[in-house]
Amino acid sequence: MSLDYSEDMVQFTREPQLVELDDLIAKPVETNPSKKYFLALTFTASLLLIGIICTGITFYFGIGTWGNNQTIGWAFGITNFVFWVGIAHAGTLISAILFLLRQKWRNAISRFAEAMTIFAVMCAGLFPILHMGRPWLGGYLMPYPNSMNLWPNFISPLVWDVFAVSTYFIVSLLFWYLGLIPDFATLRDRSKDKIKKIVYSFFSLGWRHSNRHWRHYEKAYMIFAGLATPLVLSVHTVVSFDFAATIVPGWHSTIFPPYFVAGAVFSGFAMVVIALLVVRKVFDMENIITLNHLEKMNKIILLTGSMVGYAYLMEAFISWYSGVHTEQYSAINRAFGDYAWAYWTMVSCNAFIPQFFWFRKIRRSIPAMFIIVILVLVGMWFERFVIIVSSLSRDFLPSSWTYFTPSLIDLGILIGSFGLFFTLVLVFTRTLPVIAMSEIKGIVKGAQPTHNGGAN
Amino acid sequence: MTNNDTGYIKRTLPKNVGKLGIILFLVGAITGSVGFFLDPARASYSYLNSYLFILSIAVGSLLLVAIEYAANATWSTPFRRMSEFLASSLPLLILLVIPLLLNIQNLFLWSHSEEVAKDHMLQAKSVYLNTPFFSVRVFVILLIWSLFYYLIVKNSRQQDETGDLLMTKKNNKLSIIFIPVFAITVTLQSIDWIMSLESRWFSTMFGVYLFAGITCSALAALTFISVMLKEKGYFHPKITKDHFYSLGTLMFVFICFWGYIAFSQYMLIWYGNLPEETFWFMQRWKGGWKIVSLFIIFGHFLVPFSVLLSHPSKTNFKKLKFISIWILAMHFIDLYWLIMPGMNGNGLNFSFSWMDISFLVATIGIIIYMFNRMFEKYNLIPVKDPKLQRGLDFHL
Repeated sequence: MSLDYSEDMVQFTREPQLVELDDLIAKPVETNPSKKYFLALTFTASLLLIGIICTGITFYFGIGTWGNNQTIGWAFGITNFVFWVGIAHAGTLISAILFLLRQKWRNAISRFAEAMTIFAVMCAGLFPILHMGRPWLGGYLMPYPNSMNLWPNFISPLVWDVFAVSTYFIVSLLFWYLGLIPDFATLRDRSKDKIKKIVYSFFSLGWRHSNRHWRHYEKAYMIFAGLATPLVLSVHTVVSFDFAATIVPGWHSTIFPPYFVAGAVFSGFAMVVIALLVVRKVFDMENIITLNHLEKMNKIILLTGSMVGYAYLMEAFISWYSGVHTEQYSAINRAFGDYAWAYWTMVSCNAFIPQFFWFRKIRRSIPAMFIIVILVLVGMWFERFVIIVSSLSRDFLPSSWTYFTPSLIDLGILIGSFGLFFTLVLVFTRTLPVIAMSEIKGIVKGAQPTHNGGAN
Repeated sequence: MTNNDTGYIKRTLPKNVGKLGIILFLVGAITGSVGFFLDPARASYSYLNSYLFILSIAVGSLLLVAIEYAANATWSTPFRRMSEFLASSLPLLILLVIPLLLNIQNLFLWSHSEEVAKDHMLQAKSVYLNTPFFSVRVFVILLIWSLFYYLIVKNSRQQDETGDLLMTKKNNKLSIIFIPVFAITVTLQSIDWIMSLESRWFSTMFGVYLFAGITCSALAALTFISVMLKEKGYFHPKITKDHFYSLGTLMFVFICFWGYIAFSQYMLIWYGNLPEETFWFMQRWKGGWKIVSLFIIFGHFLVPFSVLLSHPSKTNFKKLKFISIWILAMHFIDLYWLIMPGMNGNGLNFSFSWMDISFLVATIGIIIYMFNRMFEKYNLIPVKDPKLQRGLDFHL
């Protein structure tokens, strides 16, 4: 006589044995990869190579090889930067915020999502450096008393961005590493290869799974989660300040901070769903990363997608309500001007398509969700493109109004960033456990001692 | 009268609680009516302030109920009834809004046709900001909210009798529909009642700002009442500190959220420095308003943030009671800060008035009276809710 909530609580479709778990998770790390793996790696590495070549061309000839022009000074570079920073948000959301919210289902997917966070921040970090045109001057972004007596412009949100993203990267990396320590120890104990053993021993910092170790670990994990939570929200807030703090029509909007954060989580979750769909299949982890996990993620995609839709509505409505001509013009120009195709791609992919997730069947259908999340990624890339390019293309001086066409180099670098990301992901799946072994054991039946003998 | 197997015993509050509510309401309503008689323009502003305060608690509580259903939360199930009780003044708002609609001319510049004729900005907005459309919007939104309140609460109460699981499923669906409806309607209400007081000003964040305040106040009201009832022994004995810890955490989260939204809105307008936006904050930085602005930064964010930050304080009943009353007071002051400076643009000169207090007293009277009435009629916990046992057994 109770509503069936058991389905929500199922962490595994088939309850695994503890030993079996270690074997399963360590298998990709301990065995030699198959031919398919190398084929996949070759593919992503070729994409990366395209990116490297295009980067080389950019360094040699300069930013002139990009499609940027006189008024549209920010285009693909910043679009890609914001896109990748956005992708990076899912990892910390899953590992820190869901941890604080006591959502145990996160345990199965947190490791993978965190790894993707770190790789996505790496991809993002490349673009501002490339965009500088003189990458060797990048060091001046860091405030330090240098011999030239040069300081960054502290009142510029672009500088806050440098601090926000680099802090975020460091904290995410440490948080990820902290979670990895017990797993490194497990791998160390299992490995028979001498070199591997040395490497894993080094990184496991002498972990012995002792009670005292665990106590410190749990405390540190909690503190990191508490620190990472405001940090993850602040990163995309600061990114949104890059735009909203200016007075460019279409950029200067007070809703930008929460809207960007929602959009970032939205796109990040989409990327994690794509990767998980592949991983669970390839590594036989379908009973650990279950449809329930994917459904929950799809619900969050629906929620954040609707938040983004709310922001679109507000922007359009308030630009009319404001009575300010430039605001009204920028809204109309976005929807019906030169970039209408991009705008409507963005609106349909971000606000409309995720609405399919209202239906339980679609939330639980793997092909359907695969298509939807890919469209979400497309939509979120276009969102940044629309914001940046459509506003810049209509300068305050109508004689300099212009249109942006990306060059081949622009496209090559974008492709290259995907190559870099997926190469890193592939390498990660073969070097580190893709599921947190210690955490997943914590939610296996009987792992949590209770007062009444585990009878719940 | 143990009508269930959870060990809950229904009791009623002391008789004088209901009386207190009626007395407060009468005192406030009578003095308020005198105020309307003496100075209708000033009274309208005070009335609007208190009206939005009760609206915040009522619709915010309904939102909390909806979130619980939508998220399938179990720890909060024992508290759900109290949010339902607090939302019970929602249908009353349809009556309470009438004095405001009769005084539209006293509140909004855009309702004067001669002013609109002079000002091209008001003309541009007149498609949206005009008395008939405004009144229709207000009524339709209140009706929608009341309808959702009626349906959700009806199902929840019916379940007390029958224990029918279908009711939970129905409410899940209703709640999921209510949440997006709430997001849109509360935004429209924030624009209508507050933003359009100074009809030139605009901010895309404003709906979110009011939403943050509403949620803080609904949570604070819930926390205050549940701590009081727990202390006086009305509550289920299985409700432990872990439950209150979770409530405190939720309050903490929304205080942070409010701070985040308030800061971002201010910072972006300050940084952009466009006169069509900054005048709104400048208005609130003149004379005594400067002190109120500063007080809100400290009182609405820093004080509750520091009080609720540590783990022990979220389970300390004394601190929880203090901070929830504090947050409610701060929400009132926040609304005051949003509404009152708009007076200057409408040709009035702001000064503090006793009417501000009298309407607040009447509002508190209504909340207490309604809560007591519901308390008499219905069970304090949803006794046959399928999630209840899990909620009672909840431990960190």
